[in-house]
Amino acid sequence: MNSIDEDTLQAYVDGELDAAATARIDAALAHDDVLARRVQQARALRAHVQAAFDPVLDEPVPPRLSALLQPPSPPAATAATPLATAAGRRGFGAGRRRAPRRWLMPTAAVAASIAVLAVALWWRPGDGLVHVHDGRQFAAGALSDALDRALASEPDPRAPIRIGLSFRGADGHICRTFTARARPPMAGLACHDNAGGWSLPVLSAAEKPEGGELRQAATDLPPDIQAAVDARIRGDAFDAQQERAARDAGWR
Amino acid sequence: MDPNQAVREGLPPLLPRLRRLARALAGQAADADDLVQVVMERALARAAQWRPDAALDKWVFAIARNAWRDELRARGRSQHLFAAEEAGAMTADGTSAPAQKLELATALATLPPDHREVVALVLVEGMSYSEAAALLQVPVGTVTSRLARARASLQSHLGKDT
Repeated sequence: MNSIDEDTLQAYVDGELDAAATARIDAALAHDDVLARRVQQARALRAHVQAAFDPVLDEPVPPRLSALLQPPSPPAATAATPLATAAGRRGFGAGRRRAPRRWLMPTAAVAASIAVLAVALWWRPGDGLVHVHDGRQFAAGALSDALDRALASEPDPRAPIRIGLSFRGADGHICRTFTARARPPMAGLACHDNAGGWSLPVLSAAEKPEGGELRQAATDLPPDIQAAVDARIRGDAFDAQQERAARDAGWR
Repeated sequence: MDPNQAVREGLPPLLPRLRRLARALAGQAADADDLVQVVMERALARAAQWRPDAALDKWVFAIARNAWRDELRARGRSQHLFAAEEAGAMTADGTSAPAQKLELATALATLPPDHREVVALVLVEGMSYSEAAALLQVPVGTVTSRLARARASLQSHLGKDT
């Protein structure tokens, strides 16, 4: 019974044959050892490939992926919570993390650079939220105050500065993400320094949501800020209690 | 429900399968999750193009396949040559038979993209031939022959006792 070609055999193993054709092969298998062996091999290969990838289904989804799906306009009271929770589940690849998004969309990287450049041009020190010293950017005025005092767990919807997530970086310093309702809307990462100030390693233009008002907090961080967080974070983002404790301790 | 919201709400349950498919396409976990991120961004950006009568998973998987094709094209030929060696970094969990998995990863990495994506869609995701053909926009016979050649290649790399 050698009339069964590879394509048919494969279709049999993959469940693609109709009932009559399946029955024909079932019958042939009973008295054709060579055919039975080929079927067994094809089945084993399929099972082998499936077994290699099925465990991915049970892996925790990396926080940077689930963070993309946060609703665009969450209720103010919960704005900061989903990302903090997602970050708390990190673990996948945390030990061998490298700068994310090293491939795909070079155009996005270019766009981001242009955005940063535009920000640099727009965001004059005179605006009072950022001052530049020695070529580095630091929080000033209302931004500095918000970073010192505001809690993501107690957001004030009217405040021009919203805090996203807070965490302790690998260098031991506490960092916080923020968005600022300004022209243009801004987002950034601020890290507390030994002198008691907040340096701003990353500043970026936040996308303006429909409606023209920047209502999101941490939930839609621009990718470059998300990447900066990923690069710095050690362990989990603070929960509400840790955030408050860190504030009470002066962000040390 | 507007399409944006429908896609946003439909994506989370798809994430595990999307990640599995991406792993099967890309091999390395890091590349796969970069791919997933791009797919999610594209799906959200193009939500208006999704017709609710079409299955969301097929639509998203098609975006994934096309994004991976874009990436391969961008990498160009030179980097592609290293794929087989890099594939050593891929293992799904490493808890069982890592040597065997590494072997499979290497064998998969030697497949041409046409063949590998059929393996990913049919053997890993479990699509029927006609579903895979629709996604790839090729005739069913093309899916069948690519799959048969991929199987033969994998079989020869992995030995008879897989």
